[in-house]
Amino acid sequence: MLIESLIAVTLVAALVVFLTPEAYAPQVAFALSLLPLAGSLFLWTGFDASGNALLEGSTVAFESQAQWIALEPYAINWHVGLDGVSFPLLVLTTVLVPLAIMSAWTPIQERISQFYGLILFMEASLIGVFTALDFFVWFVFWEAVLIPMYLLIGVWGGPRRKYAAIKFFVYTNVASLVMFIGFIALVFGLGDSVASFGMPEITQALHAGELGGFAGVGPDTLALAAFIAIFFGFAVKVPIFPVHTWLPDAHVEAPTPVSVLLAGVLLKMGTYALLRFNFTMLYDVAIALAVPIAALGVISVIYGAMLALAQQDLKRIVAYSSISSMGYVILGLVAFTVYGIGGATFQMVAHGLISGLMFMAVGVIYNATHTRMVGDISGIADRMPITVGILIAAAFGYMGLPLMAGFAGEFLIFLGAFQSTVLPGAPIFTAVAMFGIVIVAGYLLFAMQRTLFGEFRLETDYDVTRAPLHDVVPLFVLIGLIILLGVDPDIFFTMIQDAVDPVVELGGGA
Amino acid sequence: MAFEYAPLIALFPLASFVIALAFGKYLPKGGALVGMIATAGSLLLSIWATIRVAGGEIYNETLYTWVAGVGDGAITLTFGILLDPLSTMMLIIVSLIAFLVHMFSMGYMNDDGQTGLPRYYAGLGLFTFSMLSFVLADNLLMAFMFFELVGLCSFLLIGFWFREDAPPSGAKKAFLVTRFGDYFFLIGTVGILATFGTAQFAGEGSFPQLAQEAIVGGETMFGFPAETWVTILGLLVLGGVIGKSAQFPLHTWLPDAMEGPTPVSALIHAATMVAAGVFLVARMFGFYALSPTALGIIAFTGGFTALFAATMGVVKDDIKQVLAYSTISQYGYMMLGLGVAGYVAATFHLMTHAFFKALLFLGAGAVIIAMHHEQNMWNMGGLKDKMPVTYWTFLAGSLALAGILPFSGFWSKDEILYDALIVGLNEPIILAAYAMGLLAVFFTGFYTFRMVLLTFHGEPRSDHAEHPVPLGWNMKIPLVVLGILATVAGFINMVPVAEITGADIEFLGSWLDSGPEETAYTTYTAIAAEFAGFEAAELSPLLPAVVALAIALAGAGAAVFLYRGPEPEEHTNKLGGAKDVLVANYYQDEYQVWLAEGLTQRTARAADTFDQGVVDGVVNGAGSVSLFGSGRIRRLQTGVVTNYAALITISLVVLLVAFGIYGGWF
Amino acid sequence: MLDLMPTQLLVPVEWYLVLSAGVFCIGLFGVLTRKNALMFLISVELMLNAANINFVAFSLLWGNLTGQTFALFVMALAAAEVAVGIGIILVLYRNFRGVDVTEATTMRW
Repeated sequence: MLIESLIAVTLVAALVVFLTPEAYAPQVAFALSLLPLAGSLFLWTGFDASGNALLEGSTVAFESQAQWIALEPYAINWHVGLDGVSFPLLVLTTVLVPLAIMSAWTPIQERISQFYGLILFMEASLIGVFTALDFFVWFVFWEAVLIPMYLLIGVWGGPRRKYAAIKFFVYTNVASLVMFIGFIALVFGLGDSVASFGMPEITQALHAGELGGFAGVGPDTLALAAFIAIFFGFAVKVPIFPVHTWLPDAHVEAPTPVSVLLAGVLLKMGTYALLRFNFTMLYDVAIALAVPIAALGVISVIYGAMLALAQQDLKRIVAYSSISSMGYVILGLVAFTVYGIGGATFQMVAHGLISGLMFMAVGVIYNATHTRMVGDISGIADRMPITVGILIAAAFGYMGLPLMAGFAGEFLIFLGAFQSTVLPGAPIFTAVAMFGIVIVAGYLLFAMQRTLFGEFRLETDYDVTRAPLHDVVPLFVLIGLIILLGVDPDIFFTMIQDAVDPVVELGGGA
Repeated sequence: MAFEYAPLIALFPLASFVIALAFGKYLPKGGALVGMIATAGSLLLSIWATIRVAGGEIYNETLYTWVAGVGDGAITLTFGILLDPLSTMMLIIVSLIAFLVHMFSMGYMNDDGQTGLPRYYAGLGLFTFSMLSFVLADNLLMAFMFFELVGLCSFLLIGFWFREDAPPSGAKKAFLVTRFGDYFFLIGTVGILATFGTAQFAGEGSFPQLAQEAIVGGETMFGFPAETWVTILGLLVLGGVIGKSAQFPLHTWLPDAMEGPTPVSALIHAATMVAAGVFLVARMFGFYALSPTALGIIAFTGGFTALFAATMGVVKDDIKQVLAYSTISQYGYMMLGLGVAGYVAATFHLMTHAFFKALLFLGAGAVIIAMHHEQNMWNMGGLKDKMPVTYWTFLAGSLALAGILPFSGFWSKDEILYDALIVGLNEPIILAAYAMGLLAVFFTGFYTFRMVLLTFHGEPRSDHAEHPVPLGWNMKIPLVVLGILATVAGFINMVPVAEITGADIEFLGSWLDSGPEETAYTTYTAIAAEFAGFEAAELSPLLPAVVALAIALAGAGAAVFLYRGPEPEEHTNKLGGAKDVLVANYYQDEYQVWLAEGLTQRTARAADTFDQGVVDGVVNGAGSVSLFGSGRIRRLQTGVVTNYAALITISLVVLLVAFGIYGGWF
Repeated sequence: MLDLMPTQLLVPVEWYLVLSAGVFCIGLFGVLTRKNALMFLISVELMLNAANINFVAFSLLWGNLTGQTFALFVMALAAAEVAVGIGIILVLYRNFRGVDVTEATTMRW
């Protein structure tokens, strides 16, 4: 009942914040958001999972199961639990939300209670996404994340917020629909061999070769079609080239704290789901399609980085570089090695922290200068030394500086991908993808040189002052966590390896 | 007591970094004293470790598991310390120079009233930490990680004066160009880990050893024969070396890096960080010795860079620029030495160069401070009498740089050239590299003495040169210490003298041979002979030494002849078009900037247009089509009730007819 | 309880259907051709009563009261509809200065 309590507490917190007077809402929201954080840290003390939650012979931590809707012939059950893949993401979510809330204190000045209420509602849904083990429960949470996100961009966003919000919502919702159809076809194809929408049941039935035909389509074609539909659905969320264009618009228009959560957690929903559905349930199709998937990953890396190079808006730069970083994750997943998939999972957490920090730091500068355009400002380091110092550290983290979390993730992915036995030409793919680390250094250094350094100059009327303490504290916390994870990746990587190892064994890799 | 305290060698400067960053504002001298105490601690511990190593002990321990591999055959990634003759020697060099640079900085930065001192000393501390950890590293991954951190520190310190335009630009360029090299290094590291399952430099089952076994066993790796694969991996790692050690074609960052404070130039861009590349090749020499191709490329790159950079140094007017190009050139010599399996010679030059180049940079720094931050040599002159300490130490460093007997540079450079020659007599490519190296000796002598004469001799050519700012003790002591070292450091390995007298005075050689057998230099020589086929011809070192000395004296003499007298003229103007090419550095910067900005930016913009137009165009197109279609269909909603009623009626009729046909009424 | 058995009607049920269809078509014709909202209301009443005729006729034919019950419901509904309809027409008159339904097209696309 612990996970249910966690979700319930977060939902209640959201409700309380909705009803709190605006004057106290920021502080109340922050205080209440510490409850899920404390909860997830408490869960850590009792975390005893082993193996992968979807596969046989695993121990799922805090598992709880109850019949919910008896819908013949498929029962919909409430089924939640955690394993080594989902737990780090749960921690990431609960860590980022309080920090994002604190970073919202300055920029969010209207409809304050609703804003924080929606953030907490989204957190509850995110916890649900990362813990659900029944497809329907998972899907309900998956879709429930979209609603607050749509409102957060559409109500509190920048000048083109309506366009960005609708684009985000329609794009990801259409993708969810395609994914849903693909998955349901898969379940129908399994016929009588499954009695519920439980993800472990479906996975194990698929692996036992129970997939039959459906609607006149043979099992192989069905598996392939379902894989592509599901892959498309998650690829939009990640996002992977060429279905990435909603992301920059959403990031640019979203207020800082929302960008933090969008880049930090929401994108990881996509990669997490890819790992669960495409690379665990349908691993054999994934291996058969290894080359095109790896190519998509590598293209995302290089193409996203090239796009970032052409941008003038700091937030757009970080947005495009997120596409680039997520490309590494795809490459790691398709490698089917422990360090490949494990590194990809680690990279989800690492990128969540680092991109969150980047958006926060850019947001602090934006709060002070009211511009994010590279050409409008220079020499900010002169006025905001601490913020800029952390921004530089974050940028180097993004470039994969050793002893920071990003390096650990990327290096493990590269090592895993290089060794891959299921991906033909793996060393070539890896070497090409690695060139991303040069381009990322290029655009971040160019942007930093032009905005942070040089003589102080600002083309707006604002008087730049030092950032208030509550803007800077989250930056310190995040940079501390990034260095901590970079120095000791095993904090998460041991449990990740444990959960990923069975998946790799399915694929026949070492 | 064994080596338990070895990690402290690196951790002391880390502590000074943290203290300077957090509390530097409240500390006297902005953290300089903390840094000095820390580096002095490192120096003492390094000396102590050297003594232990000299006693025949070797420390090769894994101390920290970074990522523990779970399951069969998983690679565990670790941090550890390898203390052997090579690394202890380097530790002493790094910590000594770091200590002296801290002391010198008190004069250069504090007494000059600079702001941001805590940041400066924090940067120095972090740099020293990274560099010492790099030297201590017992495996390639750890070495790579600290190699990168060294790059970060160089970025931070070059860009120290961030309010101006040039330093951030130089910092960016330094990081970007070395990053480009590190890209290959990273592939190499990943490749070595993936191939051998370990990245240990030494000890049982180290990767050079495994590589050797694989070649002997004729194994196939990643679809290649083992020799080819080892060569590929070695060349990939070499990419990082070429970047950091500023070898052609990735040397362009180093002159721009001179925008940093001069003590930083001394520490980073002369004595230590740039040395990291060469040190790495020496560290994993057992691997490179397996591949004749890799060695040939190292030697040729080195020889070419030595000559190439020396010619550019001839026409520079900025004292730091001359030193920058000489640095590139000297590292070319070291690469040449390693490429011809002259392990001792290259290491020897690494050491002597660290002393005399740090000395020259600090001397230049003293001059720059005295001249109120004037760096153009044409505005100096006549400083000889006003700054005697600086002059004499600078002269010692210059003699060492030019390679003139008996200063340290002569012995080490001569040994490299000798090693190149004896291998080159059997290998034409190496002989070409040797010829370039020998020719570079002339230019080295020339630009060195052109610099000395323009700076210190003749009549003062500006007000500042008439009245230089007096220097404090904190700047003089490092100069004197390094001056002595630059003069005498060569005596530890006098190969020609040993040859003549027959005395056993090749101390460095026997020091580098004293460790475990697998990393001893004689083992390396044997491996190189066996796998690379490097046969040393029989030749007395005497004649080549005389030739090299004569050429160096000729270069120095030419400079003295041309630039002597109270009012020297700029004779390089007579070079005409050739001078333009040299001043423009052979247009190397132009094409690299074009690659980085012109080509890449244009591609990026094209990609952006493609993304906005085509990829996003399809998305927005789908939206537009839906909007257009629905715009048409909604016209049905006329608002006239009669039309709705008619529609309902028609639909009813249609439905009835349809049911009729389907139900078979007709 | 009434003893209602299926009976032989004096007039065959087809005639009722023809009558009902005729009344319905008159109503439909009114709805489709008239512009006056009041005429609409009257036409709708005709259509409802056409349905009522059917209900009552079949109720008699089958001998149970369901049809008659429905007829009563429809009458009540018609009354309610007139009440609401007249209200709408009044508002229509107030806003558009007339009861011509083709004028009141503000709810189109």
